[in-house]
Amino acid sequence: MEQDTQDFAAEARSFLDAHATKAPDRAARTWGQGDDSMAYFSSLPPEQEAEQVRRAREWQRIRYENGFGWITGPPEYGGRGLTPVHDLVYDAIESEYDVPDTGVLGVVGLGMIGPTILAHAQPHIKERWLPAMYRGDAIACQLFSEPDAGSDLASVTTRAVREGEEWVLSGQKVWTSVAQHSDVGLALTRTDPEAPKHRGITAFLVPMDAPGVEVRPLRQMTGGADFNEVFLTDVRVPDDHRLGEIDGGWTVALTTLMNERDTVGSEGAGPVAAALSPDHLSALMRATWTWDDRALRARLGELLVDVLATGHLNARAQRSLRAGVAPGPERSVAKLMYGQNLTRAAHFVGDCLGPRLIADTGQWGTYAWSELLLATPALRILGGTEEIMKNILAERVLGLPKEARA
Amino acid sequence: MSADASGLRELRASVGEFMAAKSPEEAVRKLMESEPRFDPDVWSQAADQLRLPALAIPEEYGGDGFGPVELGVVLEEMGRALFCSPFFSTVVLAAQALLASGDSEACARHLPGIAAGRTMATLAVAEEGGSWDPALISTRAVADADGGWKLSGRKGFVIDGTTADLILVVARTVAGPSFFAVDRAAPGVTAEAMETLDATRTLARLTFDAVPATPVGPDGAGGRIMAKVLDVASVGLAAEQAGGARRCLEMSVEHARTRHQFGRPIGSFQAVKHKCADMLVQVELAEASAREAALLAAGDAPDFPVAAAVAHACCSRAYMVAAMENIQVHGGIGFTWEHPAHLYFRRAKSSQLLFGGPAIYHERLLDRLGI
Repeated sequence: MEQDTQDFAAEARSFLDAHATKAPDRAARTWGQGDDSMAYFSSLPPEQEAEQVRRAREWQRIRYENGFGWITGPPEYGGRGLTPVHDLVYDAIESEYDVPDTGVLGVVGLGMIGPTILAHAQPHIKERWLPAMYRGDAIACQLFSEPDAGSDLASVTTRAVREGEEWVLSGQKVWTSVAQHSDVGLALTRTDPEAPKHRGITAFLVPMDAPGVEVRPLRQMTGGADFNEVFLTDVRVPDDHRLGEIDGGWTVALTTLMNERDTVGSEGAGPVAAALSPDHLSALMRATWTWDDRALRARLGELLVDVLATGHLNARAQRSLRAGVAPGPERSVAKLMYGQNLTRAAHFVGDCLGPRLIADTGQWGTYAWSELLLATPALRILGGTEEIMKNILAERVLGLPKEARA
Repeated sequence: MSADASGLRELRASVGEFMAAKSPEEAVRKLMESEPRFDPDVWSQAADQLRLPALAIPEEYGGDGFGPVELGVVLEEMGRALFCSPFFSTVVLAAQALLASGDSEACARHLPGIAAGRTMATLAVAEEGGSWDPALISTRAVADADGGWKLSGRKGFVIDGTTADLILVVARTVAGPSFFAVDRAAPGVTAEAMETLDATRTLARLTFDAVPATPVGPDGAGGRIMAKVLDVASVGLAAEQAGGARRCLEMSVEHARTRHQFGRPIGSFQAVKHKCADMLVQVELAEASAREAALLAAGDAPDFPVAAAVAHACCSRAYMVAAMENIQVHGGIGFTWEHPAHLYFRRAKSSQLLFGGPAIYHERLLDRLGI
C-alpha cells in the first residue's frame, strides 16, 4: 500500500530530527566566514578520506535501519516499496540537515549499479548484494570505461573466457570512481570478439577482493585521485555473477547508463552551490571592487539567466515526476547546462579576482576558486561527454538519423 | 480560475488548430503587406468562437477569468504561427495595464469591450529612444480649468498604434509618471506607421497635441504600474518567443531529416546534429522559464519579478539563437525571401529589443536580485 507523502514527510522529519542537526543554508553563507572550499572533486589525504567513507557507511546504515535507505526498493530485497516521489520528498527534507556526504556509496553504487543488479541479476545474487549495498556494507563501482573505450563503450576489449562454471577475466579498466573503496564492481567484458561489437559483450559482478584485481589511483589535473585504473589479471568469477545473457551485456550497460544520466547533474547542493548563488557572486563582486564594472555585470546577468532557467527546468522535471508523468529531455539538458554554468561561473569569478586566482594571497574566498576552475573541464566530460549528450538529444529526442557506425 | 493539465492541453490544441487554419504562412505573408495588418474577420472569429481576448480578463469585467498560465499557452501558439492580430497590444499590454492600475472604473469602462473583441487597445510608453524608463518620459499631461486633462507629446514604438481604438498613455504630471486613457479618434491625435524590421507586428509613432485624456489609476503611480505591466508583458512576450523558437527547431529538424547531401541526410552529420541539439537546449530553457514565470504570476509569488526578468532574457536569447541557426541549417534556401525562416528571424530580433534589449534586461535582473 502506498503511504501518503505527507505522513511520510512527517516521519522523515522526526527521523532526521532524532539523528541529525539542521544545516545552515550554504548558498546564503556569509562572505569571509567558514570554509571557503570550492572543490568539486575531493583531494583529501588518505586517513581523512577513510574517515569520510566510514561516516558515509554509518549514515547509510542508520538511514537503512530506519526505512530511508532504499525508499523505492522492493521489500523482498530490503527496500521500502515506495515511489520515486517519496524519494524526492525525502531528499528535499534531508537537504535541510547536516548529514554525512554519502556520495561514495550513492552516486555510482546506489544510483547506477543497484538498479542494474535489480533489473538483471539472479534472485540469490540480488539477496547477496542489494541489502548489503543499501545498508552501507558494500560499496559498488562501475568497471566500464577502458583506455581505448571511453565514450565508445561498446569497444571494450577486457576478455572473459568460460572455464566450466567460472569465467576468467583479463583486461584494464579506467576512470573508475570509488574503486579503491569498493567491494564489488560491475564489469563489461568481451565474450565474442567475432560478433558485431554491441552483441559480443557480457556483464559480470566482480568481487573486488578476488585474486587478480588490482586498483591503482589515477591522479587528475585537480591534483587529487578521485578515479582509478583497475587491472584484471585472470580474475575468476562464478557464472551466477553474470548479469543478463551471455553476449547480451549491452542491454545491462544501457540500464546503468540510463541511471547514470539521472544521477549526474542532480548534485545541486554540495560545496560548489555557492558558485551558482546570486548572493554569493554579488558578495564576491563587492569584495573584489568589481561591483561597478559594467562588462562584468552584464556577464553576471547572462550567467544568472542560465543558472535560474536551469533551476526552472529542474523544478518542472521534478513536478512532472511527482505528477506521475515521465520527464522529457529536461534531465539531459539540465546536465549539460550544469557543467556549462559552473564553467562560466569559474571563469567569471576568475575575471573578478584577476591575479588572486593564479597565486594564493591567503585572502578568504579567492584562490580557493582555482579548485573549481580545475574541475570544470571534467564536468563537460564525465557521465557522457557533451558531444555524446548532444548526439543523444539529437537522435533520441529530435529523431535525427544516426551517424553511420562501424 | 485555472485550467488543469488536460484543460491546458485542450486549449493548446484548439488554439493550435485555429492558427493552422487561419494563420498559415500564406495568410501571414498576405497580411504583412496589407493595411490593417490583421484580418478583422479572423479577429472576430478568435473572439466569438474561441473567446481568446476574454480568456485572461476577470469575470467581473466580462472575461472568462483565467490567468497567466492559460494566456501563456495561447501566446506560445500565436508565436509559433506568427499570428498577425492585435492580441498582444490589446490583451497583453492594454488590458494588463488597466488591471495593474487598480482603477475599477476604467476597467469597467474598457475591459468588457476588450474581452468581447470589439475594442482594440494599446499601450504607449516609449518615446524616441524606445526606453521604458519612467525617468525618460517627456510626454506631459496638464489639468485644465474644467477638471479635465490635456496630453501633449510624442510616443514611438506603439504596437498597433494606427489601429487601436483606445490608447493608454504614460505621461508626466506634477505628481510624476501617470496613466491616461486616450480615444484615438480624439482631436489632436496623429498616428503614423513606422517602418519595421518585423513586418508581422506594426509599430507606430503617435503625436498628441493637447488631446483630452482621462486619468487611469492614481496620479503619479505610473512608474509602479509600468514596472508591473512590463513584468506581465515580458512574460507574455516570452511565451510567444518560446513558441517561435520551438517552431524554428521543428523546421530545422524536419529539414535535417529530409535534405540529402553527400549521399546522406544532413541531420546525420554531427555538426548539424549538434546545432539542432543546441537549439533544443535553448528551446527547453525558454519553455521552462516562460512557463515557470507564468505559474509564479498566477500564484502571485514573491519570486515572480525575478522569474519574469529571467523569462524575458532567456526567451529573447533562445529565440534569436533558434532563428539564426534555423537559417544556417537550411543553408542557401533559408536566406531567401520565399522561405519563412526570415520572418522568424525578424520577429526574434524585434522581440529581443522591444523592451530595451539585453543590456537593459540583464541589469533589471540584477536589480531584482538585489545585486
